[in-house]
Amino acid sequence: MTTPTPRIVVPSSVRKGEVFTVKSIISHQMETGLRKTEGGETIPRKIIHKFTCTYGGTVVFGVDLHEAMSANPFIEFSLMATESGRLEFIWEEDGGGVYSVSHELLVQQ
Amino acid sequence: MRLTRREILVSACCGSAAFAGSLLFPPSAHAEDEALNFVERTLGRQATMSDRLRLIMPAVFPTGYTVPMQLRVESAMTEDDYVRRIRVFAPQNPLVEVVSFTFVPGRSIARVSTRIRLAKPQDVVAVAEMNDGTLLMTKTWVDVATNGCA
Repeated sequence: MTTPTPRIVVPSSVRKGEVFTVKSIISHQMETGLRKTEGGETIPRKIIHKFTCTYGGTVVFGVDLHEAMSANPFIEFSLMATESGRLEFIWEEDGGGVYSVSHELLVQQ
Repeated sequence: MRLTRREILVSACCGSAAFAGSLLFPPSAHAEDEALNFVERTLGRQATMSDRLRLIMPAVFPTGYTVPMQLRVESAMTEDDYVRRIRVFAPQNPLVEVVSFTFVPGRSIARVSTRIRLAKPQDVVAVAEMNDGTLLMTKTWVDVATNGCA
């Protein structure tokens, strides 16, 4: 399996009080643990099971993903622009893998 | 007794409408009960069907692997009135839990889009937990042509 690559789309600057949209995606097989090899062996589960977004160090949005999330999980969500700060996006994989991206958000008064 | 042509037509229409109604309404009421029961069984608590929660999915989709899903809840997202969590279930999937979203008042709004896998045509169920603990729910029928969980 190739290394999961996370990507996000966020506006570089927003106005204070505005609601802005974040698009996030990570390339990932999302192996459900339900499939079998041709030899009949179960392919072990390996999914991204958690996604968290922090804004200025505070958790502002979280997702628990289960087996029924599509491969290459795409999540679009909306945040309120409070102040300029760092947005951090963290994906956690079965087996302990962690992938993250950060983005400096400029909030205009 | 003699029937006029009009009377015959009218009674035929009413009869077929009643027949169509009997086909349409009981199954839909039945599906709603089924969804309510599913939530009570799964979460151990009763939820209320609500229009405040919207689950938008295509009625028909060619593949079960990546079915688009949009969720939104009408909420001010203030400390006094906010959506704590939305959980999505696919009762006919081999594993029924799909995803759960957590929101924070004043920071995120209760609106998300994603893509999910469905094993067969079914009613997808969403449950929103409000800050006072109330559970609101909705469901939407999605007909997928292929099994997305194989």
